[in-house]
Amino acid sequence: MSAILEIRGLTKRFGGLAAVNDVSFDVREGGISGLIGPNGAGKTTIFNLVTGVYKVTAGTISFAGRPIADLEPYKIAAAGITRTFQNIRLFKNLSAFDNVLTACHTGAKYGLAESMLRLPRYWREEKALRAKADELLGIMGLADRRDVTANNLPYGLQRRLEITRALALGPKLLLLDEPAAGMNPDETEQLMRLIGKIRDDFRLSVLVIEHHMDLIMGVCEHIHVLNFGCTLADGSPGDVANDPKVVEAYLGSEEGKKSC
Amino acid sequence: MDAYIQGIIILTGINLLAVLGLSVLTGFTGLFSFGHAGFMAIGAYVGAIFSSKLGLPFAAAIVAAAAGAGAVSVLIGRLTLKLKGDYFCIATLGFGEAIRLILNNWKWAGGARGWDNLPASVTIWNVLIVDAIAVVLVWNLLNSRHGRNMVAVREEELAAQMAGVNVFRYKMIALFVSAALAGMAGAFMGHYMTYITPKLFNMVKSTDLTIIVIFGGLGSVSGSILGTLLLTALPEIFRAFSQWRLVFYGLAVIVIMVGRPQGLIGGMELTPAGIRKIAAERRAKSALAAAAKAAEQGGEE
Amino acid sequence: MVQFLQQLVNGLSIGSVYALMAVGYSLVYSIMNFSNFAHGAVIMLGAYFGFYSLTLLRLPFGVSFVLAAVGTGLVAVLLERLAYKPLRERRAPFLYFIITAMGASIFIENLVVATIGPTYKTYPAVFGQGPIQLGALSIGRIDLTMFVVSAISLTALMIFIDRTKMGKAIQASAYNMKASALMGINTDRVIIIVFALGGALAGVAGVLFGMKYLVYPQIGNITNKSFIAAVFGGLGSLPGALIGSVLLALIETFVSGYLSSQYRDLIGFVILIAMLVVRPTGIMGKSAEDKA
Repeated sequence: MSAILEIRGLTKRFGGLAAVNDVSFDVREGGISGLIGPNGAGKTTIFNLVTGVYKVTAGTISFAGRPIADLEPYKIAAAGITRTFQNIRLFKNLSAFDNVLTACHTGAKYGLAESMLRLPRYWREEKALRAKADELLGIMGLADRRDVTANNLPYGLQRRLEITRALALGPKLLLLDEPAAGMNPDETEQLMRLIGKIRDDFRLSVLVIEHHMDLIMGVCEHIHVLNFGCTLADGSPGDVANDPKVVEAYLGSEEGKKSC
Repeated sequence: MDAYIQGIIILTGINLLAVLGLSVLTGFTGLFSFGHAGFMAIGAYVGAIFSSKLGLPFAAAIVAAAAGAGAVSVLIGRLTLKLKGDYFCIATLGFGEAIRLILNNWKWAGGARGWDNLPASVTIWNVLIVDAIAVVLVWNLLNSRHGRNMVAVREEELAAQMAGVNVFRYKMIALFVSAALAGMAGAFMGHYMTYITPKLFNMVKSTDLTIIVIFGGLGSVSGSILGTLLLTALPEIFRAFSQWRLVFYGLAVIVIMVGRPQGLIGGMELTPAGIRKIAAERRAKSALAAAAKAAEQGGEE
Repeated sequence: MVQFLQQLVNGLSIGSVYALMAVGYSLVYSIMNFSNFAHGAVIMLGAYFGFYSLTLLRLPFGVSFVLAAVGTGLVAVLLERLAYKPLRERRAPFLYFIITAMGASIFIENLVVATIGPTYKTYPAVFGQGPIQLGALSIGRIDLTMFVVSAISLTALMIFIDRTKMGKAIQASAYNMKASALMGINTDRVIIIVFALGGALAGVAGVLFGMKYLVYPQIGNITNKSFIAAVFGGLGSLPGALIGSVLLALIETFVSGYLSSQYRDLIGFVILIAMLVVRPTGIMGKSAEDKA
């Protein structure tokens, strides 16, 4: 099984602090991987590095065989990596439909002139975009909320909408940053099944950052554990759960280590 | 028609060109500029060169004006569009003032005294026709995937990037469109009043344009049109009260910002489709509230 | 050489007034994170307050001075309470603050024009006439006053910020408003004090400016210089505002003296744009990456 995402020796320094320090792991193609660790371990930083929000200090990131470190974020998105955010970043004042429709833009090619002059290609492609947006909303169970302003959606649906928006670009790798944050066990269960379904139906790979252990253990096939920016453990859920280093990091000891 | 009324309509129409452009930049893409009078000035002077010095027809002058202002905006955009919000604002302020000062010192174009004896090419008809074309083109642009991308940049720039939007490119497009339209407005102004001076294109003018966009409502073309109408026509009518007019204007700005920040019709359009959309959003919202209430009353485990 | 020193002296005295304006502006920026475009109007009011205290109320100079500063401090606080506070509570994006500030600026400026009138007024010559001779250099009395008053005011401000409890509260709030509130700092009171201080500094700057030049309603436009100086030195940094102001004034004076006064105002904006392109955080600023 080939790796869709290969991270080697990834390091990110902010001033003197190494938020991510020499981290290496793979996300298997078609797999669901988890990235866990205590708060401040560097998980979101890794997402930001992969999606081009931060510049890499050292190390490489390969996506489907291509190096992508330091590419412009929109190019990385177009190449097939999309994400959701820890603090939901929906287009809050737009409707659910408009949120998804906006993200569908890569499905059309008409240019500025064609839009201003309303040439035939505009009409054709717009119709297709709108159909696609509605289709996605339907698949994700949001069709009856399509006209609701994103801000007015209940929290759980907002998270679902963010995932829907991320799917609109037809990604090959979906990065989910704490998708279960603030959810009760029922909702988390639903989310778990949703993630598996998305992976199967959309034929993509998933990398999840999460604190909810039941979600991680339940849905991930491979887990990478971070602590203070360094790799602590890597392997299957069973391996990781029994790794004494992981247990110690989560339960902590009196004089906790502050770096690796 | 009364010449006085014609004059008001023409002035409104000229302002509308600039406001329309600024609406694209500010209302839809979320970038605030306090220097767009600078683009008007560039357009006015380029237009004057084409009509007065080169003797070309008015149509050529306004196209050149738009192109000239647009070209400068590309240069400015390269330098400043990567800056964060506050800094971009200050840069536009600096740009507007710099243009005014350069023109003030440019003896060949008349310096501070300006340039007069420009051909009086503007009629109520060519203003209205150009306005109509501009409104249609801008509307079409904004109601397309390009317009949606600009709104995405305004709403959540980072998320827009992650959704594959080339944020820099769209900011540049918005800036170019706003500058070209402002330049055209400047040329129209010159050929209506038959003279131009740098003082006409000062920071007060830039601020006025931005205030109209906000007053009409950010993210609304119909709002910008309505706003321009009210804020150009009313002051003209109240010109008798000259100084106090501005006092109330300043007060009105504060009141609107504090009391009704969405302006007249922010975020929506006063068209059949626009109203239908708002109605759909309201219905969906109450349906959601009703469902939530029912679930609550049904009892949750 | 004498020419050079003379220009230096001129530059420093103008720089001191720019510094007063820029520091007041930067102070508000550091706490509120927005550019208070109404600062110029407050400066202008300072010039008028001082003028009327001297001529109408016939108060001695020292008293007029203090009165002007108190007056502008009050105006600034009033503006904050009535206009900025509601915006803050609504968590409005910073651009609304800027527009509101502009509205306030237009309101105040035109209120003065509509009531007092646009004619220029001149301060009485409080310190007597004629420059002071220091060897081959001549320093205008007003220039010297500007420099001394600015230096005293700014030093007093720095001591206040550095040594007093409220000053530390201001520093903390500037660094992180929310955390400071959680630590028990009354951030509302901090904001009031900051605006009062900024306003008072503006008032002092206004009086000095009016003394050196003239009193007229459009004095506020001079604040463009203070914005440039503040950005130059690093928005939100008080020492930066100081350095930026002095440097800007010196550059302007030398350009004006050695090249042509035509370019004096232009050079400021050129510096501004150059600074924003090369190093937007200014001389003393720090950069920060956007956290996702």
